[in-house]
Amino acid sequence: MKAGMSLDDPSSKRQAYRLKKQENREELKHVRIDESSAQSDKIDLPRKRFYRQRAHSNPFSDHQLEYPLSPDDMDWQKLYPAFYDKATNKMSKEVTIADIGCGFGGLLIDLSPEFSDNLILGMEIRVQVTNYVEDRIIALRTNNADTNDYQNISVLRGNSMKFLPNFFHKAQLEKMFFCFPDPHFKQRKHKARIITNTLLSEYAYVLKEGGIVYTITDVLDLHQWMAKHLEEHPLFERLSPEWESSDKCVQIMRNATEEGKKVERNKGDKYVACFVRLPNPIII
Amino acid sequence: MIHPLQTSISSHDGSKIFCVIKNMIQVFRWDQTLGGFAAAGQWIDEQDKTASIKQKVTEEQQRQIAENETKRRKLDKDAQENTQSEVISKSVKEAKVPIPGSGAPPVYNYIRNMALSRNEELLFACTDSDKAVVVFQLDFSDPAKNCLTLKRRQPLPKRPNALTTTKDDQKVLVGDKFGDVYAVNAQESDSVQATNEKLEPILGHVSLLTDIALATDSDGKQLLFTADRDEHIRVTHFPQTYVVNKWLYGSKKFVSTLCLPEWGSNLLFSAGGDNFVCSWNWESGELLDTLDISDLIEPYLGEAQLAPKKFQNESNSLVEYAVSKIVTFSNLPYVAFFVEQTKALFICKVDPVLAKFTLAQTIELPFNIVSLTTAMTAGTTIATLDNRESDGTSFASFITWDGTQFTIDGERNISFDKAVTEKLKDDSIANVDSQEVYPLYHVASLRKRGELYS
Repeated sequence: MKAGMSLDDPSSKRQAYRLKKQENREELKHVRIDESSAQSDKIDLPRKRFYRQRAHSNPFSDHQLEYPLSPDDMDWQKLYPAFYDKATNKMSKEVTIADIGCGFGGLLIDLSPEFSDNLILGMEIRVQVTNYVEDRIIALRTNNADTNDYQNISVLRGNSMKFLPNFFHKAQLEKMFFCFPDPHFKQRKHKARIITNTLLSEYAYVLKEGGIVYTITDVLDLHQWMAKHLEEHPLFERLSPEWESSDKCVQIMRNATEEGKKVERNKGDKYVACFVRLPNPIII
Repeated sequence: MIHPLQTSISSHDGSKIFCVIKNMIQVFRWDQTLGGFAAAGQWIDEQDKTASIKQKVTEEQQRQIAENETKRRKLDKDAQENTQSEVISKSVKEAKVPIPGSGAPPVYNYIRNMALSRNEELLFACTDSDKAVVVFQLDFSDPAKNCLTLKRRQPLPKRPNALTTTKDDQKVLVGDKFGDVYAVNAQESDSVQATNEKLEPILGHVSLLTDIALATDSDGKQLLFTADRDEHIRVTHFPQTYVVNKWLYGSKKFVSTLCLPEWGSNLLFSAGGDNFVCSWNWESGELLDTLDISDLIEPYLGEAQLAPKKFQNESNSLVEYAVSKIVTFSNLPYVAFFVEQTKALFICKVDPVLAKFTLAQTIELPFNIVSLTTAMTAGTTIATLDNRESDGTSFASFITWDGTQFTIDGERNISFDKAVTEKLKDDSIANVDSQEVYPLYHVASLRKRGELYS
C-alpha cells in the first residue's frame, strides 16, 4: 500500500482521525441505541477525505475477509440491533434488499426511509470505504435516536462475487442493486465484472421469484454488457422503460448515489436497466 | 531413474491402469494368460506450447489493430477531416511470443488429470501445453496395438483441472483454474482439432475449481457438484446449469476432493485443507458426519507439513496438512483417503444410511503417496508412490479387500513394477535425474493466505 505510508506516521492527521473513529465504532457499533442514551452528544458525520483509498480492489485475490460459514451462522444482531428480539433470541426481520458495491452508501441512506419495513444491506469490498459507511450510519443512528431512523440499514465488508451465498438463503432477497460498478474495460478483465452470465445464476439463487435486479452505470459499453448478459440469462427478464419511470427505486438510484451525483455534475449520461427474476423452469 | 507416476486411474475391474509421467500417458493391462501386467499403449503430448501462445498473441494483435483503427476513424470524424480512404497500411510487426527471463520459474508441461467415461470406452485427459481436453477412444481388442486413439482435442481459455462426464457420456464436463466449467462434446469425431468456435462456460465460480462430480437423483435428474478453493461445494442442475440447487456449507478450508459412492443414495464425501473429512446428504444439504483426522495423522507428519517460512510462527511449529484425495468402492461401504506428502492410507467404514465414519485400517506404505485411485468393482485401491529413493521399484501399491480386511497385494505390486520398468527403462521422457522430477504435490499450495491490505 504505497499511498498509505502516512498511516504509519502517528502524527498524521488522517491517522489520528481514523483511530478516533475506530474507537467510536467499537464502542457504538453493537450498542442498542434506546431512549435512555438518546441524550448523548451528537456525532459529526464522517468526512470522506479521511477515508481515501485506491478506487479498485481485485475481486480474485484472497483478502482477509470475515464471512459466516453459512447464512444460518450469520450474526445479524450486530448489524441491526434494533431488529433483534431479546425475548426470542431471534431477528424479527431478515435482509431483503442488498446494494452490491454500495460505495459511500448514498443509496442506502435514501432507501432507508422509503423501505422502513425492510432490512437493507450494503456490501463493499474496500476497507476504508466500508468504514466510512459504517461511521456514517453510526452518526445517523445516534443523531436520530429519538425517531429511531436508519436502524434498517447496515454495511459489511465482503466480496460478494465469492461469498454472497454465505450470507443469504435461497430466495431471500427482493431487490439487488448494482450501481456504477467498476467497468473493467480490458477484455481480459471481463470476468472481474460484477455482472457475468455465470455469476447471474448465483444472484438468481438468492433472489426470490419476482425479485428485481437494478443496474445503473455511466459507461455505455458496460450498460450494454450488463443488459446483454441479463437478457440472455433464462431466469431474468427486462422490465419496460414505463416500469422504470414509475419505480421509486429507479428515481433514488439515479439521484442518491455519490457516483450518480458526480455524473450529474459532469453532465454525463446515466443508463438504467432493471430485470425481474423469473420462476425456475421445470427441471429436466 | 524412472520418474514417479504422477496421476493414475483404474478401470472398474482393475484390469487396466492409466498413468501419467510428465506429458505422457502410459496404459498397462492385466494379462490373464501372462498372469501379470503388460504395457497396452501410450500417448505423448507433443503439442508445441508456443504454437498456441503464438495464436493468442496474433489474435490479440489483430484485435488491438482493429480497435485502434476504429478509434482513429472516430477521431478523424470528430475532427471533421476529409476522410479519404487514406489507408495507412503500416507494416505490421509480427507478434512476438514472450520468452520467460532467466529468473522465471521453470515451466512444467504435464497431464494434470484423467477420467474414464462411464462405459469405459473413452479416456479424457487435461493437457498443460495448450490447456486442452483430449478425448481418446480405447480399444483393447488387439494386445499388440496401442489402445489409445486420439479422437478429439479441445483447447480451453484457461487451464483445465477437473473432469467428469454426463450420465450418457455424450459430454465431458471440465472445470478450470479460473472457476469456469465447460461442456465439451465427447462423441463427435469428424476432426481431431476442435473447431475454433468459442466455448461458453456452463457455470462458474469466482475461485479456483478443484474437483467436479455428477450424480443422478431419485428422479433420474442430473446434478453437478463443483468444489472450489473458497470452501464452497456448489450443487447445480444439469443441463439447466443456470439453476443452482444449493451450496453445501461446513468446510472451513479449501475443498480439494469430492467422492460420490454408488452404495449410499444421496451421499457425498469431501475433504481438503480441513483437519476433518466430511460426509453429506446432498439431497437435504445436511453435513452428516465429520471425521477428525488430526490425531490419526499426527504420527505421519514430518517436515513437509511445516508451514512455509513466510507464514511460520516463531517456534517453527505451525503444521499444515491437507487431504489430497478420497475414494470409494462399488460394493464395499468403505472410503480411503490420504494426506498429501505422507505414507499413510486411511480406510474408514461408513454406515450407508447415517454416513458415520469408523476408522477401519491405517496402512503405512513404503513411500509418500502421490495419487490414489480405485478399481471400484474389484475392491482394490491403487496408490502411486513417490519412489525416488527406491531402487526402481514401488511405483504403485495395490491394496485389496480380501473378504475381511484390506491387504497389500505384494504379487501385484511386483508384477506392476516389472511392467513399468520393462516399458520405460529406456524411455527418454520417463528417465530423469532425481533433481529433474516434476512437482508431485499440488494441494498444499491451495491454502489461502489473506492479504492484509487491498
